[in-house]
Amino acid sequence: MLLKLLWSYFRIGVMNELAYRANFLVQMFQSLFSLGTSLAGLAVVFSQTSNLAGWRPAELVAVLGVYTLMGGVINLVIQPSMQRLMEDVRLGTLDFSLTKPVDSQVLESVQQVQIWRLADVAMGIVLLVLALGNLGTQVGPGEALVFGLMLLCGAAIVYSFWLMLATCSFWFVKVDNILVIFQTMYEAGRWPVTIYPGWLRFTLTFLVPVAFAITVPAEAVSGRLGWGTLVGAVALAAALVAFSRWFWLTGVRHYSGASA
Amino acid sequence: MSFAFGPESIRVRDLRKVYRVHEREAGLLASVRSLVRRRWREIPAVDGITFSVAPGEVVGFLGPNGAGKTTTLKMLSGLLYPSSGELEVLGFVPWRREREFLRQIALVMGQRNQLAWDIPAIDSFELNRVIYRISRADFRRMLDELAELLELWPLLHKPIRNLSLGERMKCEIAAALLHQPKVLFLDEPTIGLDVTAQRRIRSFVAEYNRRYGATVLLTSHYMADVEALCRRVIVIHHGRLLYDGDLAGLVRSFSPHKLIEVEMEQGSPDLAGYGEVVSADEGRVTLRVPKHATAEVTARLLDEVPVTDLTVEDPPIEEVIEHVFSQEAR
Repeated sequence: MLLKLLWSYFRIGVMNELAYRANFLVQMFQSLFSLGTSLAGLAVVFSQTSNLAGWRPAELVAVLGVYTLMGGVINLVIQPSMQRLMEDVRLGTLDFSLTKPVDSQVLESVQQVQIWRLADVAMGIVLLVLALGNLGTQVGPGEALVFGLMLLCGAAIVYSFWLMLATCSFWFVKVDNILVIFQTMYEAGRWPVTIYPGWLRFTLTFLVPVAFAITVPAEAVSGRLGWGTLVGAVALAAALVAFSRWFWLTGVRHYSGASA
Repeated sequence: MSFAFGPESIRVRDLRKVYRVHEREAGLLASVRSLVRRRWREIPAVDGITFSVAPGEVVGFLGPNGAGKTTTLKMLSGLLYPSSGELEVLGFVPWRREREFLRQIALVMGQRNQLAWDIPAIDSFELNRVIYRISRADFRRMLDELAELLELWPLLHKPIRNLSLGERMKCEIAAALLHQPKVLFLDEPTIGLDVTAQRRIRSFVAEYNRRYGATVLLTSHYMADVEALCRRVIVIHHGRLLYDGDLAGLVRSFSPHKLIEVEMEQGSPDLAGYGEVVSADEGRVTLRVPKHATAEVTARLLDEVPVTDLTVEDPPIEEVIEHVFSQEAR
C-alpha cells in the first residue's frame, strides 16, 4: 500500500513537473552548481594537505556522495511532505487525511514529491561510484549490504527526526523556523562529522542526526565502520522510528481533543 | 458504548464536547504572565444533544455560527473525540477511525479543499481510487456517473487552480463520492457559490441520495439548501438541541407571528390598528399579528374593512430562524 501510494504521488509529481520545463532547467543547474562548489571545496582543501583528520580525498568524495544522495532523498519526498503536513495542520486540511481509510502518517509522509531531486540522488550515486573506483578497495556483497543498511538507517533517522519536528505543529502552530535550522545543520554534513570540534560533533550526532545520515554510511563504504557504530545506528533508527510513531499518534490525539 | 442494534445509521445520545481554551488577557504584562501561568476556560461547544438518523434520510443542521454544528459533524466523522455521551455511525464508534468505517463515509467542507491545487482533478481522483481501493471498473463507472450529473467533463483535465469556485466545489464533491459513501457529511457545501452553482449542487445531492440511498447530514447558512433538500431539520443553538422535526413544524412551533394579507377593492386604508404593517401597496396590505390573536384580528378585519380577499400565512422560514437565533437558548 505504501509503495502504491508513493507511486501514485510520484506519478502526479512527474506529470505536475513536466508542465514546467523552465523549472527543470533551474533545478538541474542548482544541483550541478551545488555539486561543483562542493568538489571545488574539496580541491582547495587537498591542495594544502593530503589527508583531513584521517580522511583521504577519495573517502571525502564518498562522504560528498552520501551527502548528495541523502539530501536528494530528503528533498525528494521527506521535506516537501513534512512541510505540507505542517500546512495541513495550520489550515485544517489534515481533516481530509484523517478521514481516509489509510494510515494518516503514511499518507502525510508521501503526499508531496519533488521529482527533480532525483537528479541529486543520481549525482550522489555517480560520486559514490567514482569514489569507490579511486579508493581501490573492493566492495564485496557484505560491504554493499552494510552500506545499504546504513543508508536505510540514516534515511529512517532523518525521516523520524523530520516527523517529530513537523508533529510539533500540533501544539505550536508555527514551527517553520526549526526547519531552517535543520537545513543549516545538514549543510555541515558535507564533511565527516569527525573533523568538527567536540561540541559540534555532539550536536550533529545527537541533536540533529547528520552524523548517522551521512558520515556513518560513508564510513561503511570506506571500510572504517566499527561494529559498535553499526549496531548503534540500527538501534537508534529502530528507536526513533518507534518514538516518532508514538509522538505522531499523540499529536493526532491532541488534535482531535482526545488527550484533553 | 452499548446500543441495542437498530436500523439507524446515526445514533447520538447526550453528546458533549467541551473545549479547553487558553484565556489571554490584553496587555503586554498580562501576556508575559500568561506564559508562566495559563488560565483555562471550559467552553461547551456541544452540550448534550440526542438524535438519530435513519438510513437514506437527508437532515439539515441549522444554527448560527458557533452553535456547534461543525463540532458535531467532526465528532460524527471521527475527527473529534467527544467529551462525553454516546455516538455511533453505521455501527462504528467514529473516533476509533476504523478503516471499514472511513471507507463508508465522506466529509465535504465548503471552506476547505482536499484537491491539490496544481494538478487536474482527474489525478486527485486517481489518488482517491488508490486510497479507497476502488477497482478500475467501479471507478470508471462512478466517474462517468458523477461527471455526467455534475457536468464535469470539461473540468477534469484542468488544474484546480484554474477553476472557478463553483467548478472546484463540484470536483470536491465528486472526489468525496467516488467510493460511494453510505453516509455523507456536508459542511456548508454551497458557501460562496452563485445561485446557479448552488442549485446545481443541491439537485445533485438530492439525486445522489435518491440513487444510492445515502444518509446525508448537511449544514448550511442558505435556507434554500435546506428547504430543497431536507424534510427534517435539527436546530442547535449554544450547543443545545432546540428543535428536531420537519420544516413546517419548525415554523409552527417557533414563529410567534402570522402574516395576514388583505386585499381590498380600492385604496389602502391605514390598518395599523390591527397589527404591524409589513407592506402596503395599492389595494393590498400585509399585517404581522401575534399568533394567538390571528382569529380575532381576522374576524375584525372581515367585519370592519371592505375586504375582497384575505389569506393567513406563516412567515418565511428565514425570518423564523432568525427569530429563534436572536433569542437565548431555552
